[in-house]
Amino acid sequence: MSPAPTNELGFKPPDGGWGWMVVIGAHISIGFAYATPKALSIFFNDIQLDFQASYSDIAWISSIMLAAMYAGGPVSSALVNRYGSRPIVILGGLMCGASMVAASFGNSIIFLYLCIGVIAGCGLALNLNASLTIISKYFLDKRPLANGLAMAGSPVFLCFLAPLNQYLLDKFGWRGSLLIIGALMLNSCVAGALMRPIGSCNASSCAQQQKSEEQSNNGNTKKWKQICGSRAKKILAWSVFKDRGFLIYLIGNIMFIFGAYAPIVFLSAYAVSHGVDQYSAAYLLSIMGFVDMFVRPGTGLIANSKWIRPRVQYFFSFAMVFNGTCHLLCPLIKNYTFLVVYAVFFGVGFGMVFALIFECLMDLMGNQRFPSAVGLVTIIECVPMLLGPPTAGLLVDIFGDYKYLFFLCGTVIVTGGIFLFIMNIYNYHMLEKERGRQPNPNHIQVVGQGQGEMLNILNHSFLTKESAVPEIKDGSEPAMC
Amino acid sequence: MMQASWMLLLLAWGGHANTKTVGQTLPPVEPDVHLLADVRSVVLQGKSHTDKVDVPGPMNLTLQCTWTANGNKTLNVTGYWLKDGRDIDNSHVTLRLENQQVHLKRTFLIKNEESLGRYSCMFGNEAKADFILAVPHISDVRDKPVVSYVGDSVVLACKVDDRKPEPKTWLWFRANGTDKEQITTVAEPQKYQIKNAGKATKLHVHNLTRDDSGLFYCAAVFTIGTAVSHLELKVITIYEPLKPFVTIVLEVLILVTAILLFERGQSKKSQVQEASEKEVANAEPPATNAEPPAINVEPPTSTSSATPSGESNGLEKSSSARQRKS
Repeated sequence: MSPAPTNELGFKPPDGGWGWMVVIGAHISIGFAYATPKALSIFFNDIQLDFQASYSDIAWISSIMLAAMYAGGPVSSALVNRYGSRPIVILGGLMCGASMVAASFGNSIIFLYLCIGVIAGCGLALNLNASLTIISKYFLDKRPLANGLAMAGSPVFLCFLAPLNQYLLDKFGWRGSLLIIGALMLNSCVAGALMRPIGSCNASSCAQQQKSEEQSNNGNTKKWKQICGSRAKKILAWSVFKDRGFLIYLIGNIMFIFGAYAPIVFLSAYAVSHGVDQYSAAYLLSIMGFVDMFVRPGTGLIANSKWIRPRVQYFFSFAMVFNGTCHLLCPLIKNYTFLVVYAVFFGVGFGMVFALIFECLMDLMGNQRFPSAVGLVTIIECVPMLLGPPTAGLLVDIFGDYKYLFFLCGTVIVTGGIFLFIMNIYNYHMLEKERGRQPNPNHIQVVGQGQGEMLNILNHSFLTKESAVPEIKDGSEPAMC
Repeated sequence: MMQASWMLLLLAWGGHANTKTVGQTLPPVEPDVHLLADVRSVVLQGKSHTDKVDVPGPMNLTLQCTWTANGNKTLNVTGYWLKDGRDIDNSHVTLRLENQQVHLKRTFLIKNEESLGRYSCMFGNEAKADFILAVPHISDVRDKPVVSYVGDSVVLACKVDDRKPEPKTWLWFRANGTDKEQITTVAEPQKYQIKNAGKATKLHVHNLTRDDSGLFYCAAVFTIGTAVSHLELKVITIYEPLKPFVTIVLEVLILVTAILLFERGQSKKSQVQEASEKEVANAEPPATNAEPPAINVEPPTSTSSATPSGESNGLEKSSSARQRKS
């Protein structure tokens, strides 16, 4: 039932074998990407004292890092499209390591913003994008499971980095800790080494072949603008914006990201305001992270099943609505036991959404357009991510009550989920109609939405003479050549 | 009669009185509007209760206890006060239960540090409430040492909780053997800087050396006494974190090299495999229909000695194909 285009790479992804090592690599890479901005906050008190800045000044380091990680998406996509995943992840690891080491010698807050915030953030952006791309190349049938396992890196690494950071701080102070964390982040290079390139056509040779095809097909009177334009399309597939499914996904995601992080930021404060002591309140977040760790691979497993796989977009909407409902019910909770229950359910909902968030995009976009799509999605998601927690904080300041925060976040997320659900029904319906109108099934074409994609990318020699129009079997993606 | 004397005690005591408190007898009070007054009350639910009271300066503190007798037949109960476990003279009073409740109230003049301590209101042997009067203590005592590096600067901070009263001033001390030596910025202005800001204080130490490691004491000076807290400073060289750093970098290099070598080894093996398969395919005779039926199917000698199953399958297939054709 999935409308996604067939695998345009022209080979069958291994769905196993070395692929599992690639999943480990992606797990490490994604783990560093999501966990580092959060885990660094342990050093902020000490840095704040030494630099005589306010806590909010220092907390900007994390925000800048997250923003750079998301904003660096398109650049990362372009690089991955051109060079493949392995060199990019290794480069990302080196950037992170070097910038952390430089930061440990820093003497001003601006220097830390630059090193940890911007440079390490960009390094993490390279890591994130390339890891997701390589999973889509190695897996198809087992892709939801692979995605779930890789995304589980985030809670696992947070669980492991947080106490480690505390230990390093006590033993070496914040400078020594940043030095050692820089070395640890070089392990992303190990993750990159695991990401063996796959596919007979890597982007640069594809681009060359495609260029020669263009010239032979369209004669020699090609204006340089058109050549540049087509090259720009190779660097980043801007055509995704014409894709109905992509736009639906984007809007739903923006709504989710807007409401997703504020409850995490304010959960301890909310608990403390209801009489819970600080340690127990911090414990709530650990519970959430612990649950998240197991829910992500579990969701991947469920999404891989015969019944859910063709309906993975609806499963994603369900996960979002579940998450939002948890938040809406939170203000009813007044005592600690129920707060623990809430933290567990929050972990479940959060893990479910994040396990599926990139799987759904892969499902919609297919391998060729996924790197560009994910880059564009992340840079656009920068905005709600940076706006969400401060807006929620503003609500708390105005009304003096946390419940409005939970109402806002819950409502936005539930609306996003319902929007996705309804619009996906509409989208699939329209696709069925379009498919019914398709004239010649022997045309080699990209089936599905997004007719703006350059169809010449598919070089004939990589496809067999079988029908290029994929048969849509129930329970799996279209069969490949 | 007793009540009247108690009323007198509610009046303030002037700060210029010369009489010292001897034993536990309360001195006579004189009205003095400059002294602060405060009231602390406790309603006893169980058998005992403890309350902490922060006393920054001399004040008149009224302590009140209310106790609900739970179904006791006794109509009268003796209420009295203790300070640090010892009876306060003239504090015994017989109280009558009204609606099963009894109140005990007394105002104490807290003059100096000796006046601080544990004050207990007792209801016979049935119940008691403790009030622990002390100088406000410094909050967030850091039990882990502050770590910094040779040649670097560090900031040590102490603060009093926002809800507590502000100290008059802050002082810093350095441990010198068993003594405490006060840190003054006058003596070494390049080394130490003290910045006091009401409820918080910061000590800046510059040009750290290994000798600077040790205990530092911050003292919040209140009118009535001083609260002291300590911080430990550890000064280390850059070589300490450098050891784990180098270890981890080496580990990364080893792993990356191992993974890449493994991959090269695997790709070489598959290249050899492909090459020998190609040779086998090339060595087959091209025209098959002209051949006689019984053909000697010997593997060509040009193939390598290591024949993986793929090759032999290929040979078998080609031979069977030839036999079928002929």
